[in-house]
Amino acid sequence: MSKKERSVIGSKNCDDPIINYKEIEYLEKFLTPQGQILSRRRTGFCAQCQKQLKKAIKNARHVALLPFVN
Amino acid sequence: MTQLYEAMVLLSNQTVREDWRKAKGLVGDLLTKHNGTVKSLRRFDERRLAYPIQGNLRATYYLAYFEADGQAIPGLRRDFELTEQVLRNLILAVDAIPEGELAKAAEEEGADYTVPEPPADDEPEEEEVVAESDDEDSDGDDEDGDGDDSDDDDSDSSARPKKTEDATA
Repeated sequence: MSKKERSVIGSKNCDDPIINYKEIEYLEKFLTPQGQILSRRRTGFCAQCQKQLKKAIKNARHVALLPFVN
Repeated sequence: MTQLYEAMVLLSNQTVREDWRKAKGLVGDLLTKHNGTVKSLRRFDERRLAYPIQGNLRATYYLAYFEADGQAIPGLRRDFELTEQVLRNLILAVDAIPEGELAKAAEEEGADYTVPEPPADDEPEEEEVVAESDDEDSDGDDEDGDGDDSDDDDSDSSARPKKTEDATA
């Protein structure tokens, strides 16, 4: 297994594109320990799903479900 | 033209402690005040906030699905912001009410349904702290293994001897 394959967290084919801001445990997988959103390269999402992820995380941060900074 | 909306409202635990049904009614009243038709309204969760809001470390989340005119939403947001008991609000347009949401809301409407009193802000949560620390550790290891260059070197160096061992074996 190459280093690049190991680093991808999300699905490469975007099998589960429905991303909800209420699913905190799922969203936490795409945050660094500091609370930053992981890049597309790390998440493995397509551009559309990455935008959904970004929106969901930002909504979750607004209602204090996720932190801005850890 | 009416649209289906989802509203997530954070209420201070002090309001919920006084009367949780009254607190729920506060959200419902604000929605109906702006000609919204409430489809479902329920207590989503009571949890520790990711960061303090107006000095509150914990809050109760209420989740509502309602139909309203798009022009009423700015006024509704403003009303939420002006209400002291409401710490935060999030209103999103949605296509449909998720499955099971109406059933959960109906269950809460029952007279027998009771809500446990929210704990005090400073009450420690041992289980959550342990779980979080475990997650952080596991995440930290993964992140370190892939992210930072210095740690990558460490992980690679730790991996290399194994390969040599395999090769020798």
